[in-house]
Amino acid sequence: MAAITGASSISFHSRLHQNLALSRANGLKPVSLSGYGRSSLSFGLQQRSARLRISCAAKPETVDKVCQIVRKQLALPDDSAVSGESKFSALGADSLDTVEIVMGLEEEFGISVEEESAQSIATVQDAADLIEKLIEKNKA
Amino acid sequence: MSFTLRSVKVPPNSVSLDEARHRVFDFFRAACRSIPTVMDIYNLNDVVAPSHLRSVVAAEIRKHASVTNPKVIDMLLFKAMEELNNITEHAKQRHHIIGQYVVGREGLMQDTGAKDQGASNFLKDFYKTNYF
Repeated sequence: MAAITGASSISFHSRLHQNLALSRANGLKPVSLSGYGRSSLSFGLQQRSARLRISCAAKPETVDKVCQIVRKQLALPDDSAVSGESKFSALGADSLDTVEIVMGLEEEFGISVEEESAQSIATVQDAADLIEKLIEKNKA
Repeated sequence: MSFTLRSVKVPPNSVSLDEARHRVFDFFRAACRSIPTVMDIYNLNDVVAPSHLRSVVAAEIRKHASVTNPKVIDMLLFKAMEELNNITEHAKQRHHIIGQYVVGREGLMQDTGAKDQGASNFLKDFYKTNYF
């Protein structure tokens, strides 16, 4: 039913509302917007993940914490551009660094990452999504 | 006082460099997962943070990063497993752990008083390490 209302709203409203409807249909936590017409808000991470991957997107705080851990691990200065889409290899991390970052995340969030899932982590966003998924699973 | 013989069974040699890499990462994950236990056994909670121990383990692995022979890697892993087992079964003592893994290159020297006052920041960094 939510999908139907989403479909009907798509034709009337702007792309922003479309993304919101999409995210609602997928059971994500919708970001609270107050009636924006056609202005484009810069919810970079949420929007991009809602468009590219229909699986659950990670909360911004999680991504921030992940970025912080990555920065500390790779000893990057505070103003370097570490966002959701930056790949670990682009930031100068070799495979051992990646494993170490994953272990740091395990300790920080109290989760335990499987080996196969750890292999598939390439960007900061992947790591944050995996963390969210594992936290959900632990809570359930 | 039973020394558990966990690594007596030697697995067959790695077929390729790739398999050896996987074994190295598995060992690193096992070591990282046993860090909380180690900190508990030797009462290191006030001395060092788990992230520091993780980076020390990673540095030890990186020391041999240029090895390409899978058999040599297996041998190094065997020794590493042995060391890890020794540590986790409390066969070592606290001062061993602190001396080998917690304290940095400058050893126990903590006095940066009168001797180094005139030294510039550049010189201090230079004495500490090559890369700054």
